[in-house]
Amino acid sequence: MKHKYTNFTQQEMMAVAAAREIKDGEIVIIGTGLPLLAAFLAQKTTAPNIITLYESGAYDCKPVRTPSSVVDSVLAPGSAQTASLLEGLGYVHAGDIDVGFLGGAQIDKHGNLNTQVIGDYRAPKVRFPGSGGSNDIGVGCKRTIVMMAHLKQRFPEKVDFITTPGFFNGGKERETYGFVGGGPSVVISNMGLLRFDAETREMYLASYHPGVSIEQIKENTGWDLKVAKDVHETEPPDPEVIRILRDECDPDGLYLKKE
Amino acid sequence: MKVSKVMTAKEAVVKFIEDGSNLMVGGFFHSISHVLTHEIIRQKKKGLTIFAASSNEHTDQLIGAGCVDRIESSYNGLEVFGPSYCYRRAIESSIPHKVEIEDYTNFTMMARFMAGSLGIPYVPVNSMKGSDLLRHTAWKGENKAKLMKDPFGSGFDHVLVPALQPEVGYFHVQRADKEGNCQMWGILGDAPWSVRSCKKVIVSCEEIVSREIIGRDPNRTILPGYKVVAVVEAPFGAHPKNCQGYYDVDRPFMKDYIKKSKTAEGWQEFMDEWVYSVSDRDEYIQKYINTFGMRRFLDLKAHDFSSSSVNYGF
Repeated sequence: MKHKYTNFTQQEMMAVAAAREIKDGEIVIIGTGLPLLAAFLAQKTTAPNIITLYESGAYDCKPVRTPSSVVDSVLAPGSAQTASLLEGLGYVHAGDIDVGFLGGAQIDKHGNLNTQVIGDYRAPKVRFPGSGGSNDIGVGCKRTIVMMAHLKQRFPEKVDFITTPGFFNGGKERETYGFVGGGPSVVISNMGLLRFDAETREMYLASYHPGVSIEQIKENTGWDLKVAKDVHETEPPDPEVIRILRDECDPDGLYLKKE
Repeated sequence: MKVSKVMTAKEAVVKFIEDGSNLMVGGFFHSISHVLTHEIIRQKKKGLTIFAASSNEHTDQLIGAGCVDRIESSYNGLEVFGPSYCYRRAIESSIPHKVEIEDYTNFTMMARFMAGSLGIPYVPVNSMKGSDLLRHTAWKGENKAKLMKDPFGSGFDHVLVPALQPEVGYFHVQRADKEGNCQMWGILGDAPWSVRSCKKVIVSCEEIVSREIIGRDPNRTILPGYKVVAVVEAPFGAHPKNCQGYYDVDRPFMKDYIKKSKTAEGWQEFMDEWVYSVSDRDEYIQKYINTFGMRRFLDLKAHDFSSSSVNYGF
């Protein structure tokens, strides 16, 4: 029976890696998709006392089915508060929220994110949805976890448009803005885990996921990616963790694709 | 005796939404007034500037129908369901015509609504600072947002965003009385600030209840009646989105919209079927039941999770 859970997909590896980044007792603002599954997994394994917040204003939710949206009606019954977007992101803006999740069309060397356009702003080649709460979460949360598909065009040296600042041009530049939030602490891609140098604030490869080589990751990154001295394979998920992720966090297969 | 503001969606849109209006489009992914959106589309309103924290399929449909010239918002998409294709076609290829967008963030849009609601002219925020959202603007130019040195000596700059007071706005709630006192529960999303900021509000609701029912639970009132100019009773008025305590989101219907809206032709086909060929919400519901069956209609109905009551006694 157990062998069924020994294999895992890249998506599942990402959700497990993200769950490991959440510490017990933290307040976490989540959206839909993998961040939601990561928070649920953390709650069911290593961080049972975290509090989930949705930007729509739902706080400390106890959904009886996997929410398909940040306004899924299942989030209200049993929650500790259902307020509005002003509170949901207001708590973030005030600096009260520990962890936020971000994603985007592009991320650059210093963790700046683009969810706006590819090409010229006024006459874009591709127009994305926009910031939503991304910029607010990026400047307000104590730290952010970024989840991205690892492709060269999505990891350029410089993004086409900064929707959500990371560390700008690196070094101490972010600190000059007086944000309450600290910026991205990790980028979890489908290929590896990337962190930021404490001095230069440049992204580097911290670990590569099972089955992926350092060379492959470098090839799919738009600049000469630095590699940590102690770079290692990302610890593969325990089969029991995969079981919880699939069967308890996403039993209807709302987000996890079968590979 | 106060005057009843109850009218049909058709009457409300004729009376209160003019071509070229500054229009607040309420709803944050759920409890969206599709009943009023579809009426605006059928009445072929033009030149609207729309305001929303995040805009969803209702905005997408207004754009596709050619009602919109300008948008001030932070997000245009259908969340997990996929992108807003009409919005992308309008911005990337001027179909049906060019739409300009002024980009903010969810929090800054809400702060602007809050400021407008309270009569505060502008509000300082940390969001947008240092980002290209501050550097790039469409038609507002330097009036989109301004950077100002903190006058209280923190040493940092703050972003000032202007308050919003749209001429008219519309949204959907669970219940209202005929004077327009609106009660909403569950996730509020952009409410109450988005609607409180408007000079006039059209509300659609699942049920019109008596003033006495409103008075049994006055903390539930999110918008006082004096703001409201029209009350439209429309059960199932937010379908295909969810309305807490009434019905769930209709996922297959949303997926169908996304699939068809990928092309301008497919979108037109969807709109012909669900908007242009029906005259009001009653007909829409009847069409839904005829197309998908009573079973699927009833399956959307919400489970019971009634709250415990509190004592308002003195």
